[in-house]
Amino acid sequence: MYRYDEFDLGFVSGRVDQFRDQVRRRIAGELTEEQFRPLRLMNGLYLQLHAYMLRVCVPYGTMNAPQLRKLAHIARKYDRGYGHFTTRQNIQFNWPRLQDVPDILEELSEVEMHAIQTSGNCIRNVTTDQFAGAAADEIIDPRPVAEIIRQWSSLHPEFTFLPRKFKIAITGAPEDRAAVRFHDIGLMAQEDEAGEVGWSVYVGGGMGRTPMIGQRIRNFVPHEDLLAYLESVLRVYNRYGRRDNKYKARIKILVHEEGLATIREQVDSEFEKVRGGILTLPEEELSRIRAYFAPPQFVLSDDRFNLADLKRNDAGFARFVEYNSHPHRQAGYTSLTISLKPIGGVPGDATAEQMEVVADLAERFSFNELRVSHEQNLVLPHVAIRDVRAVYDVLKEYALAEANVGLITDMITCPGLDYCALANARSIPIAQDLARRFGTPERQAEIGPLKINISGCINACGHHHVGHIGVLGVEKKGTELYQLTLGGDASESAAIGDILGPGIVAEAVPDAVERLVQTYLGLRETKDETFIAAVKRVGAVPFREAYLAT
Amino acid sequence: MQILTANELLSGASVYFGDDRHWHQDIQRARIFSETEASELDGLIAAAVATKRLISVAAEKVRIDKGRVVAQRLRERIRAEGPTSPRHAVQPLRESDHVSL
Amino acid sequence: MRHSPITTKRTDPLRAMGIIALNGMFGEDDTDGVIRKAVEMFGRDLAVVSSFGADSVVLLHQVAAVDPGLPVFFLDTGKHFSETLQYVTDLKARLGLTDVRTLVPDSKDLERFDPEGRLWENDPDSCCHIRKTEPLNAALEGFSAWITGRKRFQTAERGILPHFELTGDERVKINPLAYWGEDDVAAHKKAHDLPEHPLFADGYTSIGCAPCTSAVQDGEDARAGRWRGLNKAECGIHFDFNGEIAPAEVKNGPVLFKKGRFVADPFKPLAENANLKGVRYVHVPLSKVKDNLAAIRQNPHPLGLLIESSDRVEDVAGELDRFSSVAISFPAFGDGRGYSTARLLRERYGYRGEIRAVGDVLTDQIGFMVRCGFDAFVVANDATKRALEAGELAEVSVYMQPVGLTEVPVGTRPFLRKPGKPVTRRP
Repeated sequence: MYRYDEFDLGFVSGRVDQFRDQVRRRIAGELTEEQFRPLRLMNGLYLQLHAYMLRVCVPYGTMNAPQLRKLAHIARKYDRGYGHFTTRQNIQFNWPRLQDVPDILEELSEVEMHAIQTSGNCIRNVTTDQFAGAAADEIIDPRPVAEIIRQWSSLHPEFTFLPRKFKIAITGAPEDRAAVRFHDIGLMAQEDEAGEVGWSVYVGGGMGRTPMIGQRIRNFVPHEDLLAYLESVLRVYNRYGRRDNKYKARIKILVHEEGLATIREQVDSEFEKVRGGILTLPEEELSRIRAYFAPPQFVLSDDRFNLADLKRNDAGFARFVEYNSHPHRQAGYTSLTISLKPIGGVPGDATAEQMEVVADLAERFSFNELRVSHEQNLVLPHVAIRDVRAVYDVLKEYALAEANVGLITDMITCPGLDYCALANARSIPIAQDLARRFGTPERQAEIGPLKINISGCINACGHHHVGHIGVLGVEKKGTELYQLTLGGDASESAAIGDILGPGIVAEAVPDAVERLVQTYLGLRETKDETFIAAVKRVGAVPFREAYLAT
Repeated sequence: MQILTANELLSGASVYFGDDRHWHQDIQRARIFSETEASELDGLIAAAVATKRLISVAAEKVRIDKGRVVAQRLRERIRAEGPTSPRHAVQPLRESDHVSL
Repeated sequence: MRHSPITTKRTDPLRAMGIIALNGMFGEDDTDGVIRKAVEMFGRDLAVVSSFGADSVVLLHQVAAVDPGLPVFFLDTGKHFSETLQYVTDLKARLGLTDVRTLVPDSKDLERFDPEGRLWENDPDSCCHIRKTEPLNAALEGFSAWITGRKRFQTAERGILPHFELTGDERVKINPLAYWGEDDVAAHKKAHDLPEHPLFADGYTSIGCAPCTSAVQDGEDARAGRWRGLNKAECGIHFDFNGEIAPAEVKNGPVLFKKGRFVADPFKPLAENANLKGVRYVHVPLSKVKDNLAAIRQNPHPLGLLIESSDRVEDVAGELDRFSSVAISFPAFGDGRGYSTARLLRERYGYRGEIRAVGDVLTDQIGFMVRCGFDAFVVANDATKRALEAGELAEVSVYMQPVGLTEVPVGTRPFLRKPGKPVTRRP
């Protein structure tokens, strides 16, 4: 993975010193809250319901063991012994004290981490496929380009006061595991006729109160022109994006109101002028960054081990292998997802001890590499198949071996009203109730792949729009109500879920989901037809009827 | 009936303005402003902001339920008591975090 | 820039006392007596400074009558009307002055501070400083006293001008014409048939450098034509000789921060019904420029352009060369459109004049603004003002991406990054 050089270290520690001084001025009363707020937000520090919340950036979800250990240390020393992994592949701490934050940032800088641009109307952490550099279906490892975008977008002087936040996702595989069409800009690796790999660019996707699917604005941008093209899109957005209404300020609204053709024309006109200039990415620089992401020294495949054999004799382990492993591009290896969705737990949370255990496993079994997925799980990307059992045994000991990846209990869930100052309703208890209802291994296996996403408000941090079943918490006359949606899909066959009917109280949610699941089980053609495939085949009508029947 | 609440600067903790003009963690110690006293709130909010030690200062509607102060909004009840599932205690105040007007 | 050559400070309180006494010795109209006393007291330690402007002939005529050999310094700023230069030659001959010395600005200063000769366009203070104050400081080294032609009537600030003044560096400044009125000047010229400055007939009653002088309308203050439109009534040479032009006092309201300090702002707000053909030192809104292209093109004076955040700089791309300053408005600190505008100005249109940020600017943004091409800031935000005064600019000293034309030459490595420019701080 990318390693800081002196330059990056100077960049980050300069920022720590700057923020330490800002905190000092705030506590001394030299800065008002109004003046301090934008400064703390630029360093990822929010004020939530009960305390401050610090969001630490995990660039494109890639970490090493010392970094995760440092996060564990911070959770223990400055917080309450746990952290929350987010859909932006970042981690949040819920209980830091203001004076401690400069120290936390300083400790983070020791392991090449920071909280810059995890908030504010700037270019946020670039996200990618959690199996980048490991997946069997990958055309190209997107991380070098993600790293280059990270550098280009860090404290970009022109794009730090955009109309609204700006999120970029990039994937190098045809199966979209990074939800690129639900980002302000989505990049998908693409081969041109000559076999050259470049990027297909989507623009104007997003969730929130106005969910939209990104549209393809350009079929192919070669590596060397990518930054110039991104700068062109950002400049058009910065100049013409709406600033009169923060709910209409994302680029998706600009694309929607002006039309893709107009935006394309503006971007192309800008691109013509910017292209070939200072942002042209030299091949040598790309190679230099790629070297950081060179594949580890895989050992040759060992035929005595294969996943089918491993599954015998232990049903629990078999399920773990079945659901939590992902095909690796290197024979004899697999990528293991460590589910942070234990039945009845808080989705995305990990204790300091669990983080340390995972860090140890990464060191011993995954070439010191770790990933955070946008589904709020952790990933050991390169595990030799013969080591899977050893990894599983350790995970099991620390309640990390839940075999539910991609299943009904692997829910994306925002912190909701238990923590969040913006939320209207709680999310975590809904996830816990659903997990308890559907959480037996047999039940989950019977239902198969099904994504339930839960948001505590219209801002959609829990990605409810793209849940096969989405749950949106709203508040009506002091009571939490939940609206269910059906048919959302974050993958390459992107779709936004339809609202099924009037909101229901929290206690009614498990039953309502139960009726939807029963409807699916009743109408699926074979056991291989997944929930979302069935919904796409038959449409929403039978599900809506089931939802409304009480 | 209303109470005055804020988040304390150093801890970020939820605090409530009491009869003794101190800001307390416990909503039960909050001063209750009747309809006729509501006019005092604006001045107190301004005074609270002026300490530069309190953030998000706001009045909240409450009711008295079996002798206990209960916020009307769920959000405020959770804010007063901490996350619900699993239950976490609210952010504790340290010696340095006490503010009075 | 050089510091004041005056290093030995003469501290004789009696001199100060003597000055007060001297001022009581002469009647208001005893110009001749004042000059004679000066020559008597200082001998060859005395010099005359003259602008060779509209009224200068009166003083020079009187000086020549007492001692035509007194050194007379003329500041050839390089920016004079050609008529003035001819007038110097003519007066020398007519009055018999034998020691007129022409002072020119230091070529190193010009090269460093005004390579294009356009400093006056947006920083007349500094222009005066390098073209007047500095050369005069150097020339007056070794002189204890100097005679000026200043008069009380010329501006309100001069209402209390005495015959003899002790300056901050303990020199004596002599103003023989202090009590003269406009009519006295005219009458003296007429009585002695003295030649007029060639431009006087055209309405120029107070003449300085060509760019900063305009004709005075009837009824206006005689010096109103100097630095018209600037909040500047005295040029550097009449400041005390402390080696530097003192930074303009920071008063309430927005002030201009430039090159690491607050300076007097030559620009003023545009009056609503101003005639765009004749205005000067105002920022004309882009929409007005678009609608009044002919008037703007006819206007011969220094002008600025105001770009609101919703304006498109493309719309006036062809006119940019005409403006010595562009003001980019920030209605709220979170409105980042101006950053793109500044980059387009610098990078796409090659604009090299001043780009100033106007409006809600936070200290933490100034570093970003500088990188996008801003070089001046009109600061309304009090906290920002205080931080700038204290020399506290929030900046990260290394950059992760190239911006602008010069930050990273194409093809150098590492590709995306470079150390920061030196932080702008007060010296």
